Amino acid sequence: MKEIRILEIKESIFEDNNRDAQRLREQLKSENTFLLNLMSSPGAGKTTTLVNTINRLKDKLSIAVMEADIDSDVDARTISETGVKVIQLHTGGMCHLDADMTRQGLRGLDAKGTDLVILENVGNLVCPAEFDTGSTKNAMILSVPEGDDKPLKYPLMFQISDALLINKIDTMEVFDFNLDLCVERVKKLNPDMAIFPVSAKTGEGMEAWTEWLYREVKGE
Amino acid sequence: MHELGIMYHIVEQVLRVVETNQLSEVEAIVLQVGELSSVVPRYLHACFPAAVDGTILENTKLEVEILTANGICGGCGKVYPLLEHSRMCPECQGEELEMISGGEFYLKEIRAY
Repeated sequence: MKEIRILEIKESIFEDNNRDAQRLREQLKSENTFLLNLMSSPGAGKTTTLVNTINRLKDKLSIAVMEADIDSDVDARTISETGVKVIQLHTGGMCHLDADMTRQGLRGLDAKGTDLVILENVGNLVCPAEFDTGSTKNAMILSVPEGDDKPLKYPLMFQISDALLINKIDTMEVFDFNLDLCVERVKKLNPDMAIFPVSAKTGEGMEAWTEWLYREVKGE
Repeated sequence: MHELGIMYHIVEQVLRVVETNQLSEVEAIVLQVGELSSVVPRYLHACFPAAVDGTILENTKLEVEILTANGICGGCGKVYPLLEHSRMCPECQGEELEMISGGEFYLKEIRAY
């Protein structure tokens, strides 16, 4: 008769990925590459914001982009028009990227020597927040049409982000969006969040955001 | 649908334990899932056969323990189950709260030979 053993593990399921992400973060630091993980729901304007951001910074920094998508390359094509290096990552049905997929993407991108790599994560406010990609900083976009209650509904994403862009402020009058209330809700979850109301379309507010990003990349 | 990806992670984690401890067979894997964690136990069960396919865990059982989401009231300090009371303190009706459990997602233990 075989004897049964109980092995107590008591380890967080996300622990493995967290450790891997930490290794990647340290490696990137030693290579002087800043990895920005950009997250939002679908349609919040990630790609438009990215194009605008790249155009403002590409003369000052060497930039490359990783586009994570379940199965398309429309965003990668749009980004490639800015002239920066871009790679498309297909997650094959998965709703997020983990540290290992990010590492593979960086390898495919041949990102060594790049100042700033931007990872456009899968459009989703839930899962990407749970998987540390190994990024240096996390930024998220919330767009005005989505509503000012999103911090209440998706608190984790707001807790783990370092910067929040509130996009499409040019549509504020059409939608019932209370900017002050939204900021108050965000600050309650994350007092250190840097918040930038912007319109990636008209360019309003983009200066402050790109200045913040530039300073972070330069370690100022 | 992130349960499948998560399940692959869990299987990898368990297989490492199997190797380290030179186990011949795993009878059960026990997970702990908080009520307010973002994983759905039913989907974990649904994904499990695909994740263990071709591994020595093909005949292993998956058990999921649910942990209640409790909060502590910011007003009167009462600890209460959040879902049952819709995040409102049953003592003082306050809505200020700090979550003290319910977000867990752990590999608790494995039973093996």
